[in-house]
Amino acid sequence: MSAPPYFESVALARRTVFAGASIFLTVSGFALMVNSYSGQKMSGWDYLVLVLFPLLFSQIAIGFVLALFGFIDWLRGGDPFHVMRRPWRNREASIPLAATAIVIPVFNEEVARVSQAIANMWRSLEKTGQIEHFDFYVCSDSNDADHWIEEECAWMFLCQKLNAFGKIFYRKRRHPLNGKSGNVADFCRRWGKRYRYMIVLDADSIMIGPTLVRLVRAMEANPEVGILQTQPHMVLGRSLFRRVLQFSSHVYGGLFSRGCSMAQMSSGSYWGHNAIIRVAPFIEHCDLPFLPVPNPGKRHVLSHDTVEAALMRRAGYEVWIAYDEPGSFEEGPPNLSDMLKRDRRWCAGNLQHFWFLFGRHIEMGNRLQIWIGLMAYLCSPLWLAFLVAGSIGAYDRLRFLTLSADPEDLGAATVSHAMTLFVSTLVLLFTPRILGFLTVLPRARQYGGFFRLLLSTVLENVLSILLAPVLMIFHTLFVLMTLLGLQIKWTTQNRTDTGLTLSHCLTLYGWLSGLGLFAQWLTFFYLGSECLWLMPIFIGWILAPLLAWVTSWSHFGMTLKSWGLFVSPEESKLPPELKDLEETESSSPPSSPLWIQALLCPYVQAVHLSMVRQRSSSNDDMPSPSFTKLRERLLRGGPQALNPKEKLRLLWDAETVFWLHQELWARPARELHPSWLQGQAESGKNRLLFDYLIPQ
Amino acid sequence: MASIDQPPVSSENQKAWNEAYERLVHFLDAFALGDHVQVSRLALHLLDQAQQLHRKDSSLNPTTLTMEQAQKLVSNWLATNLVEADRSSSEILARGYIALLLSRMFLTSPTSFLASPLPEDLRQSLRQTLLVTGPDLNISSMTSRHFDYGPMLGLARQTWHRFDLKSALLAILFWAGVYGVLYACLSNFL
Repeated sequence: MSAPPYFESVALARRTVFAGASIFLTVSGFALMVNSYSGQKMSGWDYLVLVLFPLLFSQIAIGFVLALFGFIDWLRGGDPFHVMRRPWRNREASIPLAATAIVIPVFNEEVARVSQAIANMWRSLEKTGQIEHFDFYVCSDSNDADHWIEEECAWMFLCQKLNAFGKIFYRKRRHPLNGKSGNVADFCRRWGKRYRYMIVLDADSIMIGPTLVRLVRAMEANPEVGILQTQPHMVLGRSLFRRVLQFSSHVYGGLFSRGCSMAQMSSGSYWGHNAIIRVAPFIEHCDLPFLPVPNPGKRHVLSHDTVEAALMRRAGYEVWIAYDEPGSFEEGPPNLSDMLKRDRRWCAGNLQHFWFLFGRHIEMGNRLQIWIGLMAYLCSPLWLAFLVAGSIGAYDRLRFLTLSADPEDLGAATVSHAMTLFVSTLVLLFTPRILGFLTVLPRARQYGGFFRLLLSTVLENVLSILLAPVLMIFHTLFVLMTLLGLQIKWTTQNRTDTGLTLSHCLTLYGWLSGLGLFAQWLTFFYLGSECLWLMPIFIGWILAPLLAWVTSWSHFGMTLKSWGLFVSPEESKLPPELKDLEETESSSPPSSPLWIQALLCPYVQAVHLSMVRQRSSSNDDMPSPSFTKLRERLLRGGPQALNPKEKLRLLWDAETVFWLHQELWARPARELHPSWLQGQAESGKNRLLFDYLIPQ
Repeated sequence: MASIDQPPVSSENQKAWNEAYERLVHFLDAFALGDHVQVSRLALHLLDQAQQLHRKDSSLNPTTLTMEQAQKLVSNWLATNLVEADRSSSEILARGYIALLLSRMFLTSPTSFLASPLPEDLRQSLRQTLLVTGPDLNISSMTSRHFDYGPMLGLARQTWHRFDLKSALLAILFWAGVYGVLYACLSNFL
């Protein structure tokens, strides 16, 4: 099926309007900025402000234009040129499906949550009657022995529970090269030929059956489409932080996606998950190139999705955002620390995209996406520099006015230009939020009613204003560390809504409070009442530990939910695919290591051996001396005697696992570490057995 | 079955046999039989066998001896019922445990565990289990294509690839010196 008539002309017109409007707004803002300095003596700091201003203001302008595009698209009820609105929808039910793999890369994720999501998606697909076209692949890069063994047992559990042997597969990579993109590429190399499409999910993603089926049909009906990205909605938030993110993703996220889709059209974005991909061209064209940097260890593209979309587009295939397809969900970070941890990763990845910004044969829409992603993090150091330079510049002027016997008149025109610029900036910043609010207003009941929706929006804005300066500082650090090639140590591994401790918040964010107080004193001392303009920033810094701590509380988030605040549509009517997922999140950690059951419990061991035997040699050769020492150290020193890498090495060797099983049961107690005796006693009632292998 | 009348044993021996018994019960428990009577019955049977062997060679450790007997019994029982004589013992055990797990025999018929001969219907249910762990590989070649990074690559090659920290530091020092001298001169003149 070909694109509708005038498609290229419309695409060109939209891009022209988008670029023109963004440039016009930026130039207008810059002109106001220059005029606000008229008649004044300018210092070097002022010139620096003038250099930074267009870069920062352009981002606000781009955001505003995208939101405006999204709002126009919403007003007219969707884009008639969009791939999901073409005539194939009239015969949708008659379009046959093709073999599709649902690929779920995992890395030390919460196993119970992932398996429950797979079970829910399976059942949802079963209801569509199209399950035979779908296979599930759990592709694990977990480097934690407990997670590995639990994942294997969970796979067995799913296959037994859903009668899905031969339909749900588990694959653990021995050498997890190149992270998630390497994991997906590994799937493509091994099994890609078996499938026409793959739907890539994140470990916290879930999609409903009808949406999965519709995506496959959309691809079948539109062979020119290479990637179709859905807009995942954040769900299942419990902590206040996650609930606020969830709320804002519902209210504003859709608007920006609409806008992006309208501006980019067939050069849309790919976000790495909740998207369907045409496998053959992906294999042929989308393997990531190495970056041209001197250090061979840094040549891998960390953030693969944007680049893959650009490569797919370069190969001649379309990439679309299916922004209003329902039934695509994900979970957000539960607290500020986890979001920063994610941002650190994304920052490093997005900065690498700089290389592709000027690459040849990249579509303009993809360049725009790369630019937006790049500036999402680069804006922070630029903003900080802007604030510092602006404050020093203001101090210089103030000092000049104070010391000069004949101070220059700032003039009414200058003040009015500055005020116009200030108001314009606020308009550009807050209009997208107002437009987002307007788009959900007709469905206000799903958000708790008009007044609760309004109050939630106001509170979300307050929280965003307070968190923005905190993010600015951390993003600046991430950018600097990335550019300097330094690693940043992190103190938390919290992945659930269990909350952050106050001591953690004080350790990680306490210095920001100090910075805020110092900066406030400094600006008040030198700028006097002018420092009030910077107050929102200082307050954000001062309150950072408190904000991080309070927003991580689950019970606070749930209390606000019970009051009808930060409610999202899925919560008023929970889709069956999301049921039982909340409960899995609160499971308690195991009392003893799970991986030792692969050596003790016959069933756990058998599942493990049947997985690793596929590639492990079964010869009866003597183990290498290093293996012999490792085995003995484990028996005598207990499970804690091995480091994580040694545990994995040992578990990969089928003969060693079998030998240890025999020895652990047969050796007298005096030749074993005491913890093994406890493990033996627990092997008949271990969690893996009763949660996964023989559930009640 | 073990007899109630046993020859007297020393306290040291008794401790060793208690340890062997405890280990054996834990081992049998790991099969999740759900029938404690059957576990006790099997434990006594295996202990009896081990004690008989121990009487012939008292240098053997009771725990090791008992557990070797238990593992041998399980292995032989699975090999007999799965007809897997050409496989290694580790493979027989792994496949047998999976067969047990999938057949649920340990729950539905715990008294049949290690029973010889095994009723035909149970034997068939063990043999019919098949574990599909992964589809056959269908290898594709996925290699990155040449990517032209455009003007940035040339620029980078002229800078990053030829970047030398020592030279850079020397340059910084040199220019700092030049500016320092200039500043000092200008300060004196103005």
